[in-house]
Amino acid sequence: MALYTLGAGHVAAGIKSREFSAEEYVCQLLERIEKVEPKVNAFVTVSKEALERARAIDKMIRDGEQTGPLAGVAVSIKDNICTKGIRTTCASKMLELYVPPYDATVVKRLQDAGAIVIGKANLDEFAMGSTTEFSRHGTTRNPWDISRVPGGSSGGSAASVAALECTISLGSDTGGSVRCPASFCSAVGLKPTYGLISRYGLVSYANSLEQIGPVGRTVSDVVSALNAIAGTDENDHTTAGGKPAYSLQERKGLRVGLVKEFIEGADLAVAKVINKAVDTLAGQGCRCEEASLASVQYALPSYYTIATAEASSNLARYDNVRYGFDLSPEGYEWNSYFAKARSNFGEEVKRRIIVGSYVLSSGYYGKYYLKAQQVRSLLKRELKALFKKYDVLIGPTMPILPFKIGEKVDNPLKMYLVDIDTVVANLAGMPAMSVPAGFADGLPVGLQIMADEFQEQTMLVAAHLFEQAAKMQRSPEL
Amino acid sequence: MESKMGLEIHCQLTGAKSKLFCRCSCDYRGKAPNANTCPTCSGLPGTLPLLNQKAVEFAGMISLALGCKVPDEIAFYRKNYFYPDLPKNFQLTQYNAYGITSIGFEGKLEYGDGKSARIRRVQLEEDPGRLVYEGGSMETSVYALIDYNRAGVPLVEIVTEPDFTDPKDVRMFLDKITSIIEHLGVCDTKLEGSVRCDANVSVGGGNRAEIKNVSSFADVEKAVRYEITRQRTMASRDIEVRSETRHWDDARKVTKESRTKEEEQDYRYFPEPDIPVVVLGSEFVSSIRQSMPELPDARKDRFVSKYGLSAHVAQVLIDNKELADFFESAIKIYSSPKEIANWIVTDLMSFVDERQKEQVRSLFAGLKIGPEHIADLAKLVDHDTINRATAKQILSQIVRTGEMPSHVARKTQAGKIDDAGALAQAIESVFKAEQAAVQDAKHNPNAANFLLGKVMQLTKGRADPKTALEMIQKKLMED
Amino acid sequence: MVTKEEVKHLGWLARIELSDTELKRYTSQIEEIIKYLDKLDTIPLEQFKPIVAKKKFADLRSDEPAGFEGDALGTKYRKDGFVKGPRMV
Ligand SMILES: [Mg+2]
Ligand SMILES: [Zn+2]
Repeated sequence: MALYTLGAGHVAAGIKSREFSAEEYVCQLLERIEKVEPKVNAFVTVSKEALERARAIDKMIRDGEQTGPLAGVAVSIKDNICTKGIRTTCASKMLELYVPPYDATVVKRLQDAGAIVIGKANLDEFAMGSTTEFSRHGTTRNPWDISRVPGGSSGGSAASVAALECTISLGSDTGGSVRCPASFCSAVGLKPTYGLISRYGLVSYANSLEQIGPVGRTVSDVVSALNAIAGTDENDHTTAGGKPAYSLQERKGLRVGLVKEFIEGADLAVAKVINKAVDTLAGQGCRCEEASLASVQYALPSYYTIATAEASSNLARYDNVRYGFDLSPEGYEWNSYFAKARSNFGEEVKRRIIVGSYVLSSGYYGKYYLKAQQVRSLLKRELKALFKKYDVLIGPTMPILPFKIGEKVDNPLKMYLVDIDTVVANLAGMPAMSVPAGFADGLPVGLQIMADEFQEQTMLVAAHLFEQAAKMQRSPEL
Repeated sequence: MESKMGLEIHCQLTGAKSKLFCRCSCDYRGKAPNANTCPTCSGLPGTLPLLNQKAVEFAGMISLALGCKVPDEIAFYRKNYFYPDLPKNFQLTQYNAYGITSIGFEGKLEYGDGKSARIRRVQLEEDPGRLVYEGGSMETSVYALIDYNRAGVPLVEIVTEPDFTDPKDVRMFLDKITSIIEHLGVCDTKLEGSVRCDANVSVGGGNRAEIKNVSSFADVEKAVRYEITRQRTMASRDIEVRSETRHWDDARKVTKESRTKEEEQDYRYFPEPDIPVVVLGSEFVSSIRQSMPELPDARKDRFVSKYGLSAHVAQVLIDNKELADFFESAIKIYSSPKEIANWIVTDLMSFVDERQKEQVRSLFAGLKIGPEHIADLAKLVDHDTINRATAKQILSQIVRTGEMPSHVARKTQAGKIDDAGALAQAIESVFKAEQAAVQDAKHNPNAANFLLGKVMQLTKGRADPKTALEMIQKKLMED
Repeated sequence: MVTKEEVKHLGWLARIELSDTELKRYTSQIEEIIKYLDKLDTIPLEQFKPIVAKKKFADLRSDEPAGFEGDALGTKYRKDGFVKGPRMV
């Protein structure tokens, strides 16, 4: 069996027991990347140091040194997460030449656990999008059907995992950006509770909504990554205290609520797969019933208000003076230099910056931003009430199947609407994940599982239970 | 036409060791450009603000010292505007439009002559970087040079209500603020650029002009005076004063129209998502009150009650912490508070070089004088070792040389002739030389002063004039 | 109703150069988006306080300085340690 198909646990165990070397494994992956990248385009940058790192880990093992639980495991990192010495472009011209002088906390923690950064994964520019079409480095294609989008904005993360170009990936999820591509690519993707994972080193799009989250081919791989990166960080004031450890335990009689509004809003083909998933869970002894989340109708306007508002301010720093792309400031008056440099943002980014500036304008703050924040507390209250009755809430991750590249790119609002099922978890700060639920017309459908704040363990139990019962195929022929 | 003035004062919390949101040092002065930076204060993607506890504590102290209320919770806001010295192109600051979130609000400060000004708010915010213009001026340089060393240094902004009507009061108020922050030990006002002031001025209920960029408190009074005159002149010619931002031209000492950046309504304030609301809790105020150093007003009261100084002298001393500290150091060496206070306030102050004082921001800049000198001098006078006139002479000498007064007194043998025999001898020889005057003096008391002058001349001023005159008069009667 | 003038002003505030065609396209797209966001204004939410994350004063960063090893500035446009920026006027 090819080494690049193995899960994280097998890779680390195989390398530690010297069944195979990290070097062999990484070499295989690099070959695989070379072979499938022309079709998939999941990477912005492939690391030049990965092989060297692999050899260093092999040496440590030969020397009998302690290695971490992810020893040798190759991870791809979404290109909006800072990697010291490896350029971090956010798929934008605005950061074409940016090489961070520091590692994001998650990258440092993965490396401390022994993982190897194999490359930087493609995304929608500054994580703004749901298809990975808005990238300066070209569209990432869905490994299951390369004429279709992989979802976004962490499209490169999910595609690289599904296409067997790495074992685990880290994405970021602001309104579904980990779960959407996980769903479209038949991978497992998790967005944790707000504050569980440090955002230090994640290039901000909408700070109050987003979290870094792992993508893997199995729940087990996602747990390995989560255990390595979760926990308080003194470099991020918004992280919660403590360092949790998750496991693949079993639990009987889970109470499952199927969110009515989510299933009603989904395409028929998607709804069918999800209903079957409900049957599967019921067959495993879960008590499933329909639940209602009435205020979900306000979720999207709330999400896009907050996300664009925060983005408009976060992206102000890209004036090309300290870092960016090559454009000499000499001879320019500063306003015109800034405007000239900043006109190099892509269409969608510019659009969101202007929408964000609009909703924050004086006189509009109370009408949009404040209201949007109030919707969050309304949603949270409703969800809290539901989580008294249910251990987890489920529904489709995406209301539609992976669509053709270019299909929605000209209609921004239509594009925004596909996030309807995922933004709720971000607004409420609660954990949610997508697990492969099945296929419709040969295209993947993801099951979204949500849980109460910091109840990742319960969510993972449900996901693992479903995964064991459903036995979905994980990677396509390429 | 009545003028109205309000102030926005920025003080750097130089007493803190690290910047407001990162671990870089606050002590950026004299460092190589951009040597005092990290990813956070240079606004690199992915960095997050980490609020400095000490800065919050200091800002709390200032709020209390200015009679402000301190809320249970504070929050930070983003003020969005573009400027090349601003690494993130927004400033992290505080804002009170949607409920109180700034560290201090609704305060009141008394200053000189029982006057007072209301404090609208006290807020904590970050300093931007510094721009240097190649060729020296903003207008002529082809590019700006940017140094981010200062970016992120904690600032406290104090905003007053427009309660001032006289530029002199503005000066007095600023002196008081200076004394307070010096006493709190939160801001070393002597450091260049550590205190800055913006002033808004309106005349006769007209539009308000905001004067920015006054980098020395001493110039605020001048700037405000200039602006009042300008606005009055305009009003007298029926020209409407525009509501605008003006710059203080430090070289020419005038206010100048400045190109407007974003206006207040364009700042798009919203709460900083990366800094949770800070819960100060009820103990915050009580604990900082306890740890707060003595404030100028309390110190003044102590000087009056404990040392018996007059209110005026005590006021002069505490108006400048340097002076008050000088006084307290001196009386520790030699405990004669009134004598020492008088030497400091009336004599020593006359040697202060006004120009150097502004430049180096130290009262005794260029003077080689310390508390030990004044203590020594007071002791010499107290013990009648030298007389007051001699002491003054010695003081004028030692402020330049740094010698100890007792040393100078010994060296020049300035010790008073307290030997009655030696004095009698001197009088004897004057009487012999000035016989005509002696005769005259027997009838004319004024002539005795002439004889005294001769005695003083002969003794090179070392005689005690009082004793000498007594002896002269006695001898005139005897003869 | 979102006007071209508003979008132009917002573009200036964001320091983004917008061509005439961009301005036209953005205005209609943003109008559509804002109309969608207007849904927020239809719900009475007065009783809901926004969720706010809180942190205790005691848990703030303690005031200990530490230098950063490395170059925090990426640009090659420098002079004598300064970063070269565009001219101010
Ligand atoms: Mg300010
Ligand atoms: Zn710093």
